[in-house]
Amino acid sequence: MLSTPSPARSGPRRIARAVVVFAVIALAVAGVAAAAALRGDTSRASLDTFVLANAVKIDTLDPAQNSVNESIWLTQNLYSRLIQPNATGTALLPDLATSWKITNGGKTYTFHLRSAKFSDGSPLTAQDVVFSLNRSKNLKGGWGFLLTAVKSITAPNPQTVVIKLSEPHAPLLADLAMYAYAVVPEKLVKAQGDAFWNKPVGSGPFMVTSLTKDQELDLAVNPYWYGKKPNIKNVKVEIVPNDNSRVLLLQSKKVDAIENPPGNLIDQIAKYPGLQSDLFPSTRVDFIQLDEHFDPFKDKNVRLALNYGIDRNAIVKLAYSGHATPGSSYMPYKMLYWNSGLKPYPYDLAKAKSYLAKSKYPKGFNCFLIEVANDVAGNSTAIVIKSELAKLGINVSIKTYELLTAYQKEDGGHSQMGQRYWTNDIIDPDEVTTFAVDPNGGANAFSSYWSNPQATKLVGEARSELNPAKRQQMYNEIQKIVYQESPFLVLDYSPYRYAQGNWVHGFHVNPLGAYNLSLLDLTVDSH
Amino acid sequence: MARTSFVARRILQVIPVLFGITVVTFFLLRLIPGDPALAILGEHYTKASATQLRHSLGLDRPLIVQYLMYMQHLFQGNLGESIFFREPARTVIAERLPATLFLVFYSVMLAILISIPTGIISALRRGGVFDQTARVTTLVGFAMPGFWLGIIFIIIFAVHLQIFPVNGYGTSFWGHIDHLFLPSLTIAIGFSTILIRTLRSSTLSALNADYVDTARIKGISRFAVHRRHVFRNSVIAVVVVFGINLAFLIGGTVIIENVFSIPGVGSLLVDSVGTRDYPVVQGVTLVLAVFVVVINLMTDLAHSALDPRVMVE
Repeated sequence: MLSTPSPARSGPRRIARAVVVFAVIALAVAGVAAAAALRGDTSRASLDTFVLANAVKIDTLDPAQNSVNESIWLTQNLYSRLIQPNATGTALLPDLATSWKITNGGKTYTFHLRSAKFSDGSPLTAQDVVFSLNRSKNLKGGWGFLLTAVKSITAPNPQTVVIKLSEPHAPLLADLAMYAYAVVPEKLVKAQGDAFWNKPVGSGPFMVTSLTKDQELDLAVNPYWYGKKPNIKNVKVEIVPNDNSRVLLLQSKKVDAIENPPGNLIDQIAKYPGLQSDLFPSTRVDFIQLDEHFDPFKDKNVRLALNYGIDRNAIVKLAYSGHATPGSSYMPYKMLYWNSGLKPYPYDLAKAKSYLAKSKYPKGFNCFLIEVANDVAGNSTAIVIKSELAKLGINVSIKTYELLTAYQKEDGGHSQMGQRYWTNDIIDPDEVTTFAVDPNGGANAFSSYWSNPQATKLVGEARSELNPAKRQQMYNEIQKIVYQESPFLVLDYSPYRYAQGNWVHGFHVNPLGAYNLSLLDLTVDSH
Repeated sequence: MARTSFVARRILQVIPVLFGITVVTFFLLRLIPGDPALAILGEHYTKASATQLRHSLGLDRPLIVQYLMYMQHLFQGNLGESIFFREPARTVIAERLPATLFLVFYSVMLAILISIPTGIISALRRGGVFDQTARVTTLVGFAMPGFWLGIIFIIIFAVHLQIFPVNGYGTSFWGHIDHLFLPSLTIAIGFSTILIRTLRSSTLSALNADYVDTARIKGISRFAVHRRHVFRNSVIAVVVVFGINLAFLIGGTVIIENVFSIPGVGSLLVDSVGTRDYPVVQGVTLVLAVFVVVINLMTDLAHSALDPRVMVE
């Protein structure tokens, strides 16, 4: 028998359905509100914690194996070294070593250690130093090449370390101040193996309280730290790869400082109420590699024509919004032994044309320039170079590759022009000079395959010369030769970019990128 | 019985699929220019350092030897050691997989909550204001890039209104719920546009079917007709679309993970390709492949459960 639903029965059903739908929505909203309430008050009223947002994930907290800059700068807060660079990156300060003697014609270094403990309370002895230095020196593919002159590292007693060299090596102290030669506890590293690095123990001002991979690293003051007690008690480093998210975090005051804000937002951030942008001098040198396997670049007149034909001021303006310095020497800006007498090649089209006319390629030539994808400053630089050199009849085609592919194509002797950069790991010029000038230094003179016997000779002599005044003369001469020969085009010196709230006082980054010294004096106001 | 043997056969079929994936990813990765030594050494690369490093990582052995060693370790449950993180690839992946799975599951729940009522009401009120609005909204949602939508949500809800956190994953279950609401909503909006359109279309087809007219003529109530005949049949097509898109979603969260700084396997995979971290790339690819296979299997089973005409043979 047919039946139809009565209106009286469908009315309550409709009401019931509406009630169910409303209840589900209300439950969802309540759940989210509860989660927000459980999150608690996250306003940054705390004065004892400094929060920094970094752009790049931590690879490891093992100082011998760090390859990511952000990790390197972090670990310098956890571990001590015998010596460390000062805040301007131009001199060395005692750290674990309170004093040292250089004897035997510069071939024996004796370091006297302070009384120190690791963050677990165990004593730090000379044997830990010996272990740490040898461990890093012997690591395959590591930084051992800096210490090839080292014959032995011994600990005659718990407070003394003796390093003996096969020949005088002027950069030794700067090499030992490098992050890779940080001191770690021998017993714990041997006992725990790789697991040690998840919650390492060091003797630096801060210690790790927790590490959440790819998210956050929490540090607290090391109770056994021998130096000046920091004003803050905790440091929180958040990993925020997205540029926009980092800026938004700072604007919402969830963090106190951010690393590497986008270059095109630096001026905007500075105008935002309560925020400031910082451009800390760095050791970064941006340059264009000229591979001499490509015939035109063997010709010095061509290289000089390129130098005069590229407007460095236009690059600084377009690529860095004016926040960079035109480059002159291959050595980073104002580093130790930097030759201040060299000036950036001025943009002079007439001079460029006259050098090209004297070369074997008076009508110009075709070449390619390798750039890295998604490198905004690099992409702008490539455009300036292409348009400027076109006026000389040099047709540059830009080839864009992902980072490692670009590096691979720039090495190996099959490249032409390539965008490269350099940053120092030590304050001494030996490292950058070896890479940039010495054809046997391992980098083929920044992959240009250029060599100059006089410059090469001076590199070796300067490495062994212990007198600073003589070293200055030698490095001045090397820089002058490179400047005149122009095996690569030094474009600019670009700074490290940071932004912070104006409630932070004392945050500072040294030219090597480290901020560990500034964390000792830093204060955070309520905000 | 048929279903059990179907499941068993599908599971066995996974083995050659996974084997093929190991071959493809292993050799394809090594075709890409750039080697891990470059990633580790950066601008301080020298041939000597790179040679030493490659030797210590076992990368200087013949490719076929490397592959056989990889397979030998794989059978022992060892995915190798991450070149970038210097720890077992298995550990690296296991630490990051929960975040992606939580994000995907949360997104799916939100997508279902959004799409089912919207799709059904749109179909039932075809041509009405709700239907027109839903259709325009789904079109806009489909066209909107996820990263842009995510940033807008952050600006409005996290920075200005401060209802939700800006980024991160949280440290507890409710912390995850709180931190992942905005990223999940971002993904759900994109996901639900496809589901809404599919559900609307299949519901309209079902509403116009002869069996629905027959049921109405027989005097069955409108609600009962919709519940027993219309919705059940319309959901069949949605289940298939859902399963296909869910499989894509598992590996497709990388952009949202980047915008919201979520430590998941999507961003791990992209970063690992960039650093040529071969063990991690191979491991993540294998894990994602297993998930895709499982989702496909569950989709087929669900389809057959909903539609008895579909035989699992």
